[in-house]
Amino acid sequence: MVTTLIDTQQNTWSDVFSTKYGAIYQSDAERCWYVDFAGKVAKFDYRCLLKLKKAVYNVDIEAKLLQSTKDPDIEILFICACDHCYILSLLQIIALKDLLEGTFVMLQLNHILQDRLYRIAI
Amino acid sequence: MKDLIRIRSLISAEVEALLNQQVRKEAFSSAVYLSMASWCNHNGYDYSSEYFFKQADEERQHQLKFFKYILDMGGNAISPEITGIKQEYNSFREVFEDALDQEINVTQSIQNIYARCLKEQDFVTNEFLNWFLKEQREEEYKARRALELFDVIGEEGTGRWQIDRHIGDIKYDSGA
Repeated sequence: MVTTLIDTQQNTWSDVFSTKYGAIYQSDAERCWYVDFAGKVAKFDYRCLLKLKKAVYNVDIEAKLLQSTKDPDIEILFICACDHCYILSLLQIIALKDLLEGTFVMLQLNHILQDRLYRIAI
Repeated sequence: MKDLIRIRSLISAEVEALLNQQVRKEAFSSAVYLSMASWCNHNGYDYSSEYFFKQADEERQHQLKFFKYILDMGGNAISPEITGIKQEYNSFREVFEDALDQEINVTQSIQNIYARCLKEQDFVTNEFLNWFLKEQREEEYKARRALELFDVIGEEGTGRWQIDRHIGDIKYDSGA
């Protein structure tokens, strides 16, 4: 789509969605996504990306904001059967949620385009 | 850019969530029927107890149908947690009133999924749901007929004994 990066295995990464705080790329060759967020680039397959989305969406941001305890507002996102985990502050959680929401909208848009331009037209 | 999500799953995330919710509802129904079977047996209504055992089995089969469909379409089927099953009933009639309520809820829920699939043009899932819609005609008919027996036979004297004896005979074989 807009931006393409070349990784070490010469795979093309398509830019799915990006914000000021991070970006998500898709690798068609590896059938996976790369999440560039919080200082690292992590590889997620289909199942793990959905688990990441679920984990982020399950954080009750409003409740955390209203909490008046002195605990640090740190959330550990551990995803079962996935190589990565995130330790994020509340602001980072909000940023990651933003990034994932945009990503899934773009993936849905891509699905509609594929349907309209290729699957139905051919 | 390849449509990687569609390659992995035929159903959308929203439909998958609704189908998983339905798995939970069917499991809940099955557990409720089991509780009704227990109450009826405990109170001497053995024919009704047998009827509810069969209903519990049927609901379990429905649950598995939804569960397997989600998996077959590439989704993630979730084994549900079931809590809050009513164990005590105030009367024999109340058991059947609750059973009808239960079936009405299931019908409405399936119609809700059907509407969502129509909106998304997910005709594959709609075709899968057709079997359930037909099944609900039978389920609601049976539950309604059981309640009718209370009015037709009446509960006085040996009425409840008569009703219990006839519960197992309720059949739905409409040509429609």
